[in-house]
Formats: sequence, structure tokens, C-alpha cells
Amino acid sequence: MTDNRKTGKALRLLLVSLLCAIAAWLGYAVLGLSLSHVGLGQLVGANLEASGVSHPVTAVLLNFRGYDTLLEMGVLLVALLGVWSLGGMPDYDESSPGPVLDILSRLLIPMLMLVAGYLLWVGAHAPGGAFQAGSVLGAAGVLMMLAGWRLDSRFAGLLLRVVMVSGLGVFVMVSTAMLLIGNGFLEFSPPMAGELILLIEAVATMSIGATLAALFLGSRPAVGPDK
Amino acid sequence: MTGDIVGIPWIVVLIVLPLTGGMACFLFPTISKSLGLIFALAIFTAVVGLGWQLVEQGAQRYAIGGWGASLGIDLYADGLSLLMLVTAALVGLGVSVYSGAYFSREKAKHFWPLWLLLWAALNALFLSADIFNLYVTLELLGLAAVALIALADGADALNSAMRYLLVSLLGSLFYLLGVALLYHSFGSLDIAILAQRMEPTPAVWSAVGLMSAGLLLKTALFPMHFWLPAAHACAPAPVSALLSALVVKASFYILLRLWLEVFALTDTSLGQLLGLLGATAVLWGGIQALRQTRLKLLIAYSTVAQLGYLFLAFPLGTNIAWKGACYMLLSHAIAKAAMFMAAGNILRFCGHDRIADLDRIAQRLPLTLTAFALAGVSIMGLPPSGGFIGKWLLLEASMSAGQWWWAVILILGGLLAAAYFFRVIGYAFTRAGLTHEVGVVPARMEWAALVLALAAILLGFISPAALELMGIGTPFGGERAG
Repeated sequence: MTDNRKTGKALRLLLVSLLCAIAAWLGYAVLGLSLSHVGLGQLVGANLEASGVSHPVTAVLLNFRGYDTLLEMGVLLVALLGVWSLGGMPDYDESSPGPVLDILSRLLIPMLMLVAGYLLWVGAHAPGGAFQAGSVLGAAGVLMMLAGWRLDSRFAGLLLRVVMVSGLGVFVMVSTAMLLIGNGFLEFSPPMAGELILLIEAVATMSIGATLAALFLGSRPAVGPDK
Repeated sequence: MTGDIVGIPWIVVLIVLPLTGGMACFLFPTISKSLGLIFALAIFTAVVGLGWQLVEQGAQRYAIGGWGASLGIDLYADGLSLLMLVTAALVGLGVSVYSGAYFSREKAKHFWPLWLLLWAALNALFLSADIFNLYVTLELLGLAAVALIALADGADALNSAMRYLLVSLLGSLFYLLGVALLYHSFGSLDIAILAQRMEPTPAVWSAVGLMSAGLLLKTALFPMHFWLPAAHACAPAPVSALLSALVVKASFYILLRLWLEVFALTDTSLGQLLGLLGATAVLWGGIQALRQTRLKLLIAYSTVAQLGYLFLAFPLGTNIAWKGACYMLLSHAIAKAAMFMAAGNILRFCGHDRIADLDRIAQRLPLTLTAFALAGVSIMGLPPSGGFIGKWLLLEASMSAGQWWWAVILILGGLLAAAYFFRVIGYAFTRAGLTHEVGVVPARMEWAALVLALAAILLGFISPAALELMGIGTPFGGERAG
């Protein structure tokens, strides 16, 4: 027992000194980096016109490096699938949350929806966009669930799955459609690029919001007897 | 007609197909089994299409969104990518056929979407030419793998899935930190552009260390293999097959790409270090496999040993050595998948996988035991299997480089593998002390394992053509042809 503790202590000491050495080396390396960073900011600026939006972050996320975002939507879907496949998590108590939370949620949820819509719209030319709007929407969902609301079992089947998949689905469909009309994959030509990006972002917002709220709930909502 | 087929951007099709398949299986769980099989066949066809395209037109580069690197993300396919895609497609098809019978209705509903999304992550990873995009594919891959491990019920499975999640995240974060350092240093994320701008600064050395450490952790190279045996042994059989055959190879592929193209480090003492770790893995994994009393754990430790062989090419760094390691990768993937499937059959038949109590499996499950033995032939590296070709090439490379000690490791590793496999085979023929209830194994599960095991043997006969395909676009540098 004491032997175990001793080796454990020695191991921990070794680990700490190793980590300190790595941290010191990383610090040295970072301090050695040149301050004049040659990033891609200028290149993004030069091509902003052709991207369909005027905010560089949205242009990178949805157009220049839209493929990364497409796969990230896949990551979100996989996270949800993983949580749902575990199943059997305890459901939250459905008793009444008390008047304060009830009234607060009635006031806050419409506001949150409005904010989500605003963030989505403003993303085209200022900080904002689908992930931010989706998170706000997800928070609204969490609040509703804390206040005792549950999804009607009629909607918990195919319809719910469609909403969950739609973010990735619409992104893939639009990108592939570009291939079919003669462009490259994910190549949004300038006249319609802005509209396509808004479409993808709008659907993604819904899907992200629903997914985040579902991740909070932890298990798949009960499905009605018809399905 | 030929022009049409070559003109299709297969490189995109290979990513869109499994993504769509995963979503379709999620939307329609009642028919997910048939949907999954259809998509598996379609993906296999698309790999053939890409192979044809590569043969006709050489290595392919595809600028997503038409932007091109550095602004956008490029996809890139050469012989090495093709090798990985073919490996994934062969194993994937086998696992898909096998899983159609393996999972209960309830589990199948979760398995198919996750598996197809995992396949999408693999294909995207093998085709990406962008180091940040590779990080995204790693995330998708890791998360899907964790969820698949957790499909096995029980505390052990959840525990090892959780541990795998933490290890996988740690590896990804190491890799991501390296990406940030490289981006800051060179202002690009594209592998080809980074390769041109590369210069040895402290930041780059940090990136080399961080990215390599993260990827080695995910590849489970000794001594970072601690998470692998539990995770691979606890998962459901088809998932074990996927993890051992494909998921650990994905991070190895990134490491190989980085070392070959971006860092060009293979002649240095770091290469020797990787070789040394690989050699230790071969011996340690072999010895541990000998000591196991459970079949699936034995196979998992065998994976630890086999992964070691892949790193023997790093200190050699010649064309032949890389090809040998890649051939090992391909044949190990197929043989190990067959072996885990056979173990799954045995587990279902006996209700346990204690090696000492394998009561006359040879007479009672002949197809499964044949599959197990044939896969074992390839893992041991006996002729005429694919494993033999891989070892032969590595042997040749180590002799011509004058580093004979790697050859000793190759032979010792083969002997250890023979020892642990014959131990299992021996018990499979003898009568065990206690009898057990006998489960039913669907024919489809037996045949899937057997066909994959046969494919691992067959690889030994088609090696000239396979090696030629691997060389498209000279992924291993332009020195004398292999």
C-alpha cells in the first residue's frame, strides 16, 4: 500500500517535471514567433466581393472554408446520435416549475427567438451567424424544458429527425446541386451566393438549436404509439 | 462512355455518398439495414471509379468551391489515398454484410447512421489536403468511434468508450495546437504549400512534436497503446473490426503524410525513435497477446503488435520500406477485420470468449475457424498472404539500408504471432472441461469473415498490380521505383 503510494508520488513528480519542460519549450517557441503574421486575412479581403456576404468570418465559414463547416454539422449530428444511442437516461421531473420560472420563460423565450433571428440575419455583414443564432435558440429550448415543457410525442418521430438532419442535409444538397448545374462542389456563383448562404444558415440555425436542446435533454424524446 | 466515367468527380462522390447514407439511415431506421448495404455497395463502386480515374489521369486535385488553396480547401487523391480508400471500402463492405445479421433491431437503428458517418469521416480524411480540415475529419471520426464502442451494453464498454473519448480528444487537441503553430508560421494550411515554405524554426519543431504525439496517441503506438485493448475488446464485434482495421490507421495516415511531405524528417534520429517504439510494440504486443486468456483481448494486443510494424519504415525511409509498411497496413486491416468477425461468431456461439474453453470450435464452426486461421496466416506473415509481401518488402528495405536489426524484429514478431495463434487453434480442436449453451450463428456472419480472410490471402497474389497502383503520383518520393 505504502509502496503503491510512493511509486504513485514518484510518477506524479515525473509527470509534473515533464509537463513543465514541455510548457517551457512551448513558451520558448511561441516567444520566438515573428510578430508580423502572414495570415490569409488579406486574401480573404480581396475575395470578399465574390463570396456573397460582406462579413469576412461568415465568408470563411460558409464559403471559402464551407467544407469545414459542412463536416462540423456532421460532428454535431454524430454527437446527437451518440447520446441518443445510449438511451435510458433519467428524464427530468415533469412537475410544475413554480410561477417564477414559468413567467420568466414566457417572457424570455420570444425574446430569445427574436435574438436568434437577428443574429442569423446580421451574420451576412457583421458578427453573428448560424452557430451563434443556433446556440441562442438552443438556450431557449433548454429554458422551455426546465420550465416543464415536453415535445408532443406526435412530433418526436420522423419530423424531429428531419429537423435534426436538416442542417447537414440542406448543406450537402445545396453543395451537390452546385455540382449538377455545372459549378464545382460547394461553388456558389456570385449572383445567388448570398441567398444560398442565407438558406443554408437559416436551416442550420433551426437544426443546431434543436440539436443543442436535445443534447441537454440527454435521451431521445418518447415517440408516440403510431411510430 | 469511358470519358463520362473518368469525368465524374469521384473524389467528391466519395464524401457525399456516405454522408447522405448516414442521414438516410437516421431518417428511416426501419429500412436502415437495406439502405446501409446499398450505400456500402455504392461507396465501393465510387472507390473503383476513383481508382480508374487515377490510372487514366494520374493524381487528382480538386478545389472545393473553386477557390483553391490557400483561400479554400483542396482535396487530393494519389496512390496512397487510393490505398487507404480501398482498405476502407473492402473492410467496410465486409463489416456491412456482417452487421446486417449481427445487431438486434434496436441496436441496428443506431449502428447504421453512425457507421456510415464514420465511413464519411474516413473518406474525407484520406482525401483532404488541408491540415485544419484533417482536424475536423479527426473529430468526426473520433466521436463516431466513441459512440460505436458504447453500443455494446455494460459498464465495461461505457468505461472504455469514455476513456477512448478522452484520449481521442487529447490527441486531437495536440494536433490542433500544432496546426495553429504551422498556420502562424507559414500563413497556409495546405499540405503542398506548407511543404514548399517549410523551414526549421523552434515553432515548427514544436508543431512536429505536438502533432506527432497527438497522432501517435490516436494510433496507439507503444507506449501510448494503453487505451486500445480495452476499447477494441469491449466493442461489438463489427465495431472492433472497424476500430482495429481502419480507425487507428487514419491517424497513422495523417502522420505518414505529414512526415513524408510537410516535415520530410524520415532520415533523422526522430525516425529512428519511431522505429524503436515500433519494434518495442511488436515485441510487447506479442508477449501480451500470449498472456491473454480472452480471445478478443488477444486479438486487440495483436493489433498493438501489428501497428508496430508500420513504424519500422520510418528509420528506413526508402520507397520499398514505405510500400512494405503500406502493404502491411492493407493486409492487417483486412485480416484483423476478418479475425474480429470470427471472434464475434465464436462469442455468439459459445456465449464467452475464454480461450481455454473453446470447446471443439473446429468441428462445430468450421467456416469461422477457417476464417480465423487464414487471417492468422496473414497476420503471422506466412506466404502467400498479403502480410508476407509486406514483411518481405520491409525485410528487403532493412537489408539494403544496412539496418539488419529491424529484420530481426520482423522475424521475432512473426514467431510471437505464430505462438499466440497456434495456442488458440490448439484449444479450438480440443474438448473443454465444461460444456456451454450453444447459440446460433447466421451463415452470413460466417461467410463475411471467411471472404475477408480469403481476401487477405489473395493480396499476396496481386501484389505487383497493387504496388503499382500505390505508386500513382509518387507519394513516397521519386527515388528508384519499388
